[in-house]
Amino acid sequence: MFELTLQALYSGLLTGAYYALVALGLALVFGTMKIINLAHGELVLLAAYVAYTAESQWGLNPLASIPLALVLVGFVAVAVYLLVGRIKKDRELNSLILTFGIGIILTNFVLLVWSADIHSTTTTWFQEAVVVGDILYSSRSEVLFFLISIALVFATWWWLTRTWYGRAIRAVSSNRDAAMLMGVNPRQTEVLSFVVAGVLATVAGIAIYTGQVIQPSLGLALTIKAFIITVLAGMGSIPGVLLGAVLIGVIEALTVTYLSSSLQEFTGMVLFLVVLLLRPQGLFGFGARRG
Amino acid sequence: MKNKLRTLALAGAIALAGLVGAHAEETILLGSHLPLTGKLARVGTGMHEGIAVAVDMFNRQNEGKYKVELVTIDDETNPAKAVAAVEKLAGEGVVALTGGYGSNIIGPASEAANKAGLVYITSGGVAPELSKRGHKGFFRINNTEGYSKAMMGLLKDMGVKKVSILYNNKEATTDLAKTVEKDLSDQGIEVVLHAFDGATSDFKPLVNKVKLQDKSDAIGMVGYENDYVGILKAGTVLKPDVKAMVGVWSLATSKMNEEFHDLVQTVYGTSMLPYPAEFTSPEAKEFADTYQKLFGKEPDYLGQFGYVQTKLLLEAIVRAQQAGTLATGGLAEELRGTDANTLIGRVKFDENGDNPFFSHRMGQHQGDKVVLVWPEDAATGKMIFPATPWSQ
Repeated sequence: MFELTLQALYSGLLTGAYYALVALGLALVFGTMKIINLAHGELVLLAAYVAYTAESQWGLNPLASIPLALVLVGFVAVAVYLLVGRIKKDRELNSLILTFGIGIILTNFVLLVWSADIHSTTTTWFQEAVVVGDILYSSRSEVLFFLISIALVFATWWWLTRTWYGRAIRAVSSNRDAAMLMGVNPRQTEVLSFVVAGVLATVAGIAIYTGQVIQPSLGLALTIKAFIITVLAGMGSIPGVLLGAVLIGVIEALTVTYLSSSLQEFTGMVLFLVVLLLRPQGLFGFGARRG
Repeated sequence: MKNKLRTLALAGAIALAGLVGAHAEETILLGSHLPLTGKLARVGTGMHEGIAVAVDMFNRQNEGKYKVELVTIDDETNPAKAVAAVEKLAGEGVVALTGGYGSNIIGPASEAANKAGLVYITSGGVAPELSKRGHKGFFRINNTEGYSKAMMGLLKDMGVKKVSILYNNKEATTDLAKTVEKDLSDQGIEVVLHAFDGATSDFKPLVNKVKLQDKSDAIGMVGYENDYVGILKAGTVLKPDVKAMVGVWSLATSKMNEEFHDLVQTVYGTSMLPYPAEFTSPEAKEFADTYQKLFGKEPDYLGQFGYVQTKLLLEAIVRAQQAGTLATGGLAEELRGTDANTLIGRVKFDENGDNPFFSHRMGQHQGDKVVLVWPEDAATGKMIFPATPWSQ
């Protein structure tokens, strides 16, 4: 049982890091613009399909396809922002409906271009086992993207808190008019946050393509998972995304080990609801200030 | 004079219409709902291709007599939309329905067809409950027992003593896993069942349980393509000490061999055809040629099932039409009287619309081929046993 528990914790940790990678872009846009981009999962999926095309058609290593995927996903992310930017009334609610619709269009675009077949990388390097102490097992892809995920979480956090553009995004999020008076261009900073979210979605897409299986219907499931993690972490908390994602990953893996694999999604949702009940601001979010 | 001319012209037109009508083809409107988008899009598309081939072949063979017009609606892998599709097709005047994928979708969709008085034939749902509802117009050419017989037969011939079965917790896969468990237990083989959620992406904790706790001789997989790939990837990392990896539908296919070549080596799955496909009968050759012409690829098992169910339905429609009973509910009786040797073997429906003669075959991925290894009389090669993708 000890070995099973250790492997469950290890698997949960690795899965959590991959969840964090998927959720990071959504959390960034949600935290800075109060917009829930329900097409985020489809952006991740688009990057994964670009990697598939590059590998199957030109024999490119999935990691080498990142620049190509970045261009396409970045372009679509900006297009999503331009559409969302046209909403003048009830932006939070209407952007939800709009991005959900964009998600459906993107899913069907993927279906039309790449068909409904499932795909995964054929590069065996990613699938090979990494064994730690003859007790902890993972694939190379999982270990690689675990490290990349942690690096990207901290890079995003550093960028938001330590750079001028990061502060500008937070300023626009906090008070758009005051930020304008300080010389910040709100549209420019919002486009930037969508582009950064696109970059994060691209890396997440490559991670999924190398470690799991992609199919057109995956996008919505990714968005839901990312949304749960974002809310669980607390709005605006970037390191919280990593911790929330790892928590979900570990709970799911332990559920498989001690209860049943068919309950893993259920326990993740129970955890989400319990946190919402006890801490509506999320695990690492701040409560509303009282003036 | 003007009136006379008008009357003459009208009479001429009626006579001409009658003359043309006497030689015109009779148009048969056939309905189909399938998941062409959503989670089951791949399997739905596969079946749709088989249905289209059956319609194309029928129209060519009956040129000048009958012409089938197929109306297909995408149910988006959604039971409510499948019901709406059936109601819409009934409103458009289709004579029967072919298609449907997923027992949870076929259940309510065929219920709607029953209310509309339409015959519904499928191969996309194997849940036993579907044929126990007393619907006189419900027919299916395959069932859980046929898959279970094949999986159980292979495992029994392997001489394994203990099997862990990992199954998707959907209705059809749960039913099949439990049927296989019962059949194997009756043969004295110990079985451990592990259900998993369809959204599972990391199977390592589950496969690790099999490795460290169950210590089984073989792993059975009852799920869908993405589940198989996930389990096999976890197996490649954890390398459980088992002698065989055995799955059911959608596994021993040309698609899986091409797309996941290394991952599926020596893995077994149900398969009616070897790969590359060998078609010997004239009908099978025509089926394969038409498939190639329409879709530019070799047929797979989904297309084969879709083709057989639609072909049987169209033949019954013609018989009912000739007997003059098509409009009075004679189609179900004609289908019930079907006893045919088809591309999937003998099909004869019982009083519930099930095909008790359905039995599957087992294929094994061997290099670039899928070799039929069970039953012995249908085998195209010998099984490689014991073997797993990670022991190769």
